[in-house]
Amino acid sequence: MRGASQAKWVVAAVAVALAATACGSSSSDGASSGPVNAQGTFSYQSSEPQNPLQPANAMEVGGGRVIKTLFKGLVDYDPSTGKLRNQVADKIETTDAQNYTVTLKSGWTFHDGTPVTAQSFVDAWNWSANVKNNQINSDWFSDIQGYDAVHPDKGDPTAETMTGLKVVDDTHFTIALTGPVSYFEYKLGYTAFSPLPKVFFTDPAKYGQSPIGNGPYKFVSWEHNKAITVSAYDKYEGLDKPKNSGIVFKNYSQAEAAYKDLVSDNLDVLDQVDPSDLASYKNDLGDRAVDQAQGAIQSISFSLYQDSWKGQDKAKVRQGLSMAIDRDTITKTVLQGSRQPANSWVAPGAMGYKDNTCGEACTFNPEKAKQLITEGGGVPGNKITVLYNADGGHKEWVDAVCNSIRQATGVECVGDPKPDFKSARDLIKNKKVDGLMRTGWVQDYPLNANFLRDVYGTGAAANDAGYSSAEFDRLAGEADKATTVEKTAELYQQAEAQLAKDMPAIPLWYYKTTAGYSKNVQNVKYDSFGDPVFTQVEVKQK
Amino acid sequence: MPDLIEKNAPAQAVASAEPKPEKPRSLGLDAWHDLRKRPVFIISAALIVLLIAFAIAPSLFTSVDPRAGDLRLHYLTKPNYLHFFQADWFGYDGQGRSIYARMIYGARASVVVGICVTAGVTVLGGLAGMIAGYYGGWVDTIISRVTDMFFGIPLLLGALVVLNAFTTRTVWSVVFALVALGWTQMTRVMRGSVITVKQADYVTAARALGAGTARIMFKHILPNAIAPVIVVATIALGGYIATEATLSFLGIGLQDPTISWGIDINSAQKVIRTAPFALFFPAGMLSVTVLAFIMLGDAVRDALDPKLR
Repeated sequence: MRGASQAKWVVAAVAVALAATACGSSSSDGASSGPVNAQGTFSYQSSEPQNPLQPANAMEVGGGRVIKTLFKGLVDYDPSTGKLRNQVADKIETTDAQNYTVTLKSGWTFHDGTPVTAQSFVDAWNWSANVKNNQINSDWFSDIQGYDAVHPDKGDPTAETMTGLKVVDDTHFTIALTGPVSYFEYKLGYTAFSPLPKVFFTDPAKYGQSPIGNGPYKFVSWEHNKAITVSAYDKYEGLDKPKNSGIVFKNYSQAEAAYKDLVSDNLDVLDQVDPSDLASYKNDLGDRAVDQAQGAIQSISFSLYQDSWKGQDKAKVRQGLSMAIDRDTITKTVLQGSRQPANSWVAPGAMGYKDNTCGEACTFNPEKAKQLITEGGGVPGNKITVLYNADGGHKEWVDAVCNSIRQATGVECVGDPKPDFKSARDLIKNKKVDGLMRTGWVQDYPLNANFLRDVYGTGAAANDAGYSSAEFDRLAGEADKATTVEKTAELYQQAEAQLAKDMPAIPLWYYKTTAGYSKNVQNVKYDSFGDPVFTQVEVKQK
Repeated sequence: MPDLIEKNAPAQAVASAEPKPEKPRSLGLDAWHDLRKRPVFIISAALIVLLIAFAIAPSLFTSVDPRAGDLRLHYLTKPNYLHFFQADWFGYDGQGRSIYARMIYGARASVVVGICVTAGVTVLGGLAGMIAGYYGGWVDTIISRVTDMFFGIPLLLGALVVLNAFTTRTVWSVVFALVALGWTQMTRVMRGSVITVKQADYVTAARALGAGTARIMFKHILPNAIAPVIVVATIALGGYIATEATLSFLGIGLQDPTISWGIDINSAQKVIRTAPFALFFPAGMLSVTVLAFIMLGDAVRDALDPKLR
């Protein structure tokens, strides 16, 4: 690793000498900043993607972050403000929030040199929505007319393309939705809506191992369970051109190991500081430590598809368990203040966030907890397990939550660690969890609809609990039909109230980005998704 | 070595008819006479008795529930070394649980695993070794080759594979894994010992007098061949305890809610800079326990089998 980068350094020395004079002075924001090596690459703490690298097939951060660097859709979110901005799209026009006309900028190319056209988007979306292609995020296209035909609930698709998508010419296409969705443009910023080059359709599986995108970085290599390497794409047309020449997404199975590597400058940018190093990370890293709010929530979901959790009276048991968790103390002690106790299902940064929608059910009250659990007929077997992935630094707080439940209510509670994220996710996705499971949600777009409809709507891809409420679906449907984003957000708050009654998942706390970076890099900023702004990272000259 | 001389000449002693004739001592009794004079044995035996007391009745030593955590006491509460036998004697761990109470309660898993695995491998391995050694021929060949195959599997690696098959792991799954992989050592020792004893005159004599196979095996061969097995087993016992802690440390051994020093060492290693005491006590306890069993094994070996010294 070290040897390789030094060899590269020698080759690039001349280019750097030229670049250094131009870049060195422009970015001086503190004593620690130095001349920038525009040819430098940096490493980032990551995890093995669950699926092949196809844009609509990454719901977890391991694959999602790599996809984000490789692809750019019509729009994205400004990393500092979260505002929507056009990338490949020149403009997106609508009068009724149902029919959209998209105009593309010209000049965008895929990494193989082929142009990005209206057809690239339409073909990509049709393919990703098709039930036969088994894409994990296919339901993101469910707003579009004709989705039912390509993705029926049962059986084979009756059409290959969605009627709602029409290519006008190379730079124009139209989108017709089944009804008004006021925040549809927000959704378009999600990676599932990325364009795909022609070569993709010849062999999607092979493509998934070495993807070709249109984003600021192009794919270089994927050493399974070790690292994914991407390098800057010099013909990238969009905003925020890379200030470095590439990223190595290094896999870590232990968050502690990543932190130790960061401290010794063997890793450049950290995803999250593990709980056991939170006490000391600000001391260790000084002004290289990062602590900021993030649009993400941690929760524990119930396996509502198991018989033991069925029935309306069990909602009381679930509320009781929620009330048995001392969120305040756990966030202050075990999590070292790196989280903020949650009292709703939507993270505070998102539009439409309403304080305390969970109300009393998210307040620690052992007496009431015991009472509710008894009224609801008790916990099946008087024992619960909480499934989690052991590679993410979750053990401490899962144990603390379990201790809290056990001591408050007498319900036996133990953590159920699975060795890595993928094996835990596979069990959760296939609905094979017996008890409770750790679930988290990092926003795809900063709107409460994303925290609600995409997690608790019947059949939603991320509905790990298997929750299905007619009332929730009705309210969410109404909210989607509103014509302004503001109205939608307001109506979704009503849907959220239904979650408080049913408690399909216990909200625990909101994330903060607690991370840091090494002495080799500078200008490392994190967006509200908790991701570093990869393109803006500057590698220092050695 | 006065005992040894006596042992080899019991007939003489009786024949000479001294005023206070000493009864001939069995091998076990003889070893006991030897052992009780050794300080190493006395110290290790005392430690082991204490450990077994921890394992049987931990509540005699602490009234604190080892699983009850008060997060407000999380790590930051330093140990108070003057509060003997109280909850905060050795401080609190990351979940606000008393480290002292967990140290006491952790003995049970270690002692149960140690003793059960040793018993398991001695019975299983001893039986296989006896059959191989007694019958010889193709029976011996088959058993020996199977033993060789198992011997080729590294204990820790094999245990990782076996334990991964369990969804919930208790003390018994760890015992199962270690017995399944550890019996071969005893087989080898027993087989060698049986082959030597089989040649003895008294075995031939018994056979000539018409004794059955079972009688020869268990009455004549076993008592004379068992000593080396006991020696190896006693020494290995400490090793099994260490293996259990290693597996638990790696997250593949015991699981919550079982209390194990290995689990505690694992969670404490991450805070070694801020709370070294959380690591020191379970790790120290583990070291003392393993040392006690190995010292006991050494002493027993010296007593039972002086040739090995």
